[in-house]
Amino acid sequence: MRVLVVEDNERLARLTCEGLRNAGFAADPAGDLEAADEALAAANFDALILDLGLPDGDGLKWLRDRRQSRSIPPALVLTARGALEDRVAGLDAGADDYLVKPFELAEVAARLRALLRRPGARGDVELVIGPIRFDTNRREAVAHGERLELARREADLLELLMRKAGSVVRRQTIEDALYSFDASVTPNAVEATVSRLRRKLEQADCGDMLHTVRGVGYLLEERT
Amino acid sequence: MSGVHTSLERRLISGLALVGAIGALCLLLFIGIEYGLTFSVLFDPAELPVVTHELTEHVLIPILVLILPMTLAGRWVVRSSLRPLEHQAREIDEASENERGFRVDATSLPREVVPFADAVNALLERIDLASREQEAFAADVAHELRTPLSVLALEIERLDHPASERLKEDVARMRRLIEQLMILAQLDIDTPQVADERVLLRDVAEDVASLMAPVAIRQRRKIAVESEGGDYVVGRREAIAAAVRNLVDNALRVTPEGGTVTIVIGPGRRISVRDEGPGLAPEKLDQLRHRYKRADHASNSGAGLGLAIVSRIAAAHGASFTTIPAEKSLRLQFA
Repeated sequence: MRVLVVEDNERLARLTCEGLRNAGFAADPAGDLEAADEALAAANFDALILDLGLPDGDGLKWLRDRRQSRSIPPALVLTARGALEDRVAGLDAGADDYLVKPFELAEVAARLRALLRRPGARGDVELVIGPIRFDTNRREAVAHGERLELARREADLLELLMRKAGSVVRRQTIEDALYSFDASVTPNAVEATVSRLRRKLEQADCGDMLHTVRGVGYLLEERT
Repeated sequence: MSGVHTSLERRLISGLALVGAIGALCLLLFIGIEYGLTFSVLFDPAELPVVTHELTEHVLIPILVLILPMTLAGRWVVRSSLRPLEHQAREIDEASENERGFRVDATSLPREVVPFADAVNALLERIDLASREQEAFAADVAHELRTPLSVLALEIERLDHPASERLKEDVARMRRLIEQLMILAQLDIDTPQVADERVLLRDVAEDVASLMAPVAIRQRRKIAVESEGGDYVVGRREAIAAAVRNLVDNALRVTPEGGTVTIVIGPGRRISVRDEGPGLAPEKLDQLRHRYKRADHASNSGAGLGLAIVSRIAAAHGASFTTIPAEKSLRLQFA
């Protein structure tokens, strides 16, 4: 997976690239928006890390323009600004995720992997979270090399949790994803599906990766 | 208005008394001239009863009749002219939690005091400006520290040294402090006019729980949300979320491994965070919430500025911030 790091602080760019390479990414630095344009024209990137305060322009405006004119890879915006207003502006402009400086490299890597797991992203066919692998075409899951026998909804649920691994998936999101709007959903249908999936994961010795955030939703732990 | 200070009230009263005394003297003089009285009649036994009678009838009785109502009226006039001052003093006193932007209301003050109030307001304006500049500077510094801190964190990550884990923790602590400084600075710049968004406490609780759950899970703790109702409150959503985040952060620190931190919404306009720690005594909370005021930098508890920030956000929203040690909860009750 190839990542373009657009950051004007040379040392920070170099260290970020180095850290990402150690985390298993291919990373190239770009010092400003012009260099970023050149790099994007020259090679195919799977994701983009974008600092907002660049010497030759506003990163958000650049992102909005590029999003409108042609397709560019998913972008993780990295910034020193932290307020919610900025976050909303960033996501409106076409940023796919947002991280505030100072960041931890593990966090950046996790967010990048999450971006790349999104539907439509390249390398979408197989999802891998720790010992769990999910083939999105054949809808088959393997954990610790052992095949999981999943019903359709359980497979859908596992895919959803894996695509968002490391963050909480709200109960309502699961309900919307698993059941069409007209289907009558019994109040504890989501809980029932989750507990069936949990049992199967436990049998494959992965039960401790699925966490309940009571009153909110569920989270599949990201392990590397 | 006591002690060594000259009382305005007493001065006015004694002034009035002096005026009264001068009046009485004038009356005596007037009567003396009118009736052709001289000092010699005081020594004339035949004239004395007449003089005494005249003086009693025209001076002493009127003065005695008038002295009580005049004293009362005088006191009332003095008191009521001073009342606006007392009222303003109370207002200034009560404005202690949210000092920024406070001005003395000169419209209700007597004209003579207005220049004084204006001068005080001008002084407040200058103090506000100075502290705003200072806070903006603190925010700038915090902001400028972010990039070098990122570089530092990445450099430490490359180290293969037994101390690197400890250094990472130090950087993480610095990161938290910077975040808290930025929140404080932002609050002070954007408030006191708390934005009048309608904020659903349930949304805030779920957002914070979602945000903090991965951190909690990494630390082998759980987060849950319980609902006992929970209404809309009016304020700044991001500020309220920052307060709840700080409460959860604090709760995670005191909860032992395997324990659960629960955000409870309701009943009504209330949001509480329950932990599995020993419970926080009210005196201790008081100490923590005023840390930034006392410039107490010696704490190693790791609590940072968290609860001071919560307290500040609560004050800006007119909410009360209390601890219920028996329930191991910290509670925000909105008005």
